Amino acid sequence: MSSLTEMVAKAHASGDYNGLIELIPYAQVIGVNCERFGDEMVFRLPRNPDNLGNPTLPAIHGGVIAAFMELSAAFQVLLQTSTPELPKIIDFSVDYMRAGLDRDTFAMCQLERQGRRVTNCSVIAWQEKRTEPIATARAHFLVKPVDS
Amino acid sequence: MRNPEIEARCQRFMDALAHIRKLGLRVIQADERRVTLVLPVQEQLSSGKTNTYLLGGALTTLIDTASAVSTLCVLPEFEIAPTLDLRIDHMKAPTHSRPLYIQAECYRTTRSVMFTRATVYQTAVDDPIAFGIGTFMRLGTEVVDPKMRAVVEGEIDSYDADYPPVAKQEGAQ
Repeated sequence: MSSLTEMVAKAHASGDYNGLIELIPYAQVIGVNCERFGDEMVFRLPRNPDNLGNPTLPAIHGGVIAAFMELSAAFQVLLQTSTPELPKIIDFSVDYMRAGLDRDTFAMCQLERQGRRVTNCSVIAWQEKRTEPIATARAHFLVKPVDS
Repeated sequence: MRNPEIEARCQRFMDALAHIRKLGLRVIQADERRVTLVLPVQEQLSSGKTNTYLLGGALTTLIDTASAVSTLCVLPEFEIAPTLDLRIDHMKAPTHSRPLYIQAECYRTTRSVMFTRATVYQTAVDDPIAFGIGTFMRLGTEVVDPKMRAVVEGEIDSYDADYPPVAKQEGAQ
């Protein structure tokens, strides 16, 4: 068993995912964290003045929202597929629906298709209501098969 | 041809964004259509325990920012142009010990929409790390916050400064 697989198992057992978040520096820079509710993972980007872009509203920088969603997807793939390595991003696409205001942002991911090497993941990000997303995204990741 | 006025305007816009100040993004050069930025090597992005996906997410912010900044090169007057969508294709993993450069171009502008494309590279622009395609919506100059416009046009130093600028009083002690 690889050390990453062990880390994932330990995180699931303890409910503390910070050790995994620390693997990706930018996830720490913007302050991503996650919590498990039954089988569902909810990712959270706490309100942080360093994440703001346009000072007028003020609004969270669009790039930060996209990065939060991409990293959420990467962690979801990692947590759900027991891959021995961090997934590699192939492509990413985001649609922005509403401005992300200066408050907590949440994201949930769904693995739409898990192939042998490539996994497709969709992401929805919201602040007030999940039915009123601030953005939706999808990504493809190259995932190392468990048995190789 | 480099345009120092546009370069300064792009940098002032970026400096007004808290997150971009945190990342230390700098304008290398800009003209009436495209901009080149650099994301310097920095401790906060290199402290990872693995080499895979080390700059995960940071590239996305870089591409989003450069694409938005490229719209400033084209617009005669500052406008707020929110991103409608952004798509990124990753060609290869970046080397974390080198700065990341990005060239972004706003290649088509209509009354309502602006289209951008961007290339991220480390050694040369023809050896790409990632490509980004973005679409921005023009909201027009009438909805621009006058204070933000003043920051971008260099009339005041920062968004925290007084606006309208307080005139220096003659003869004041």
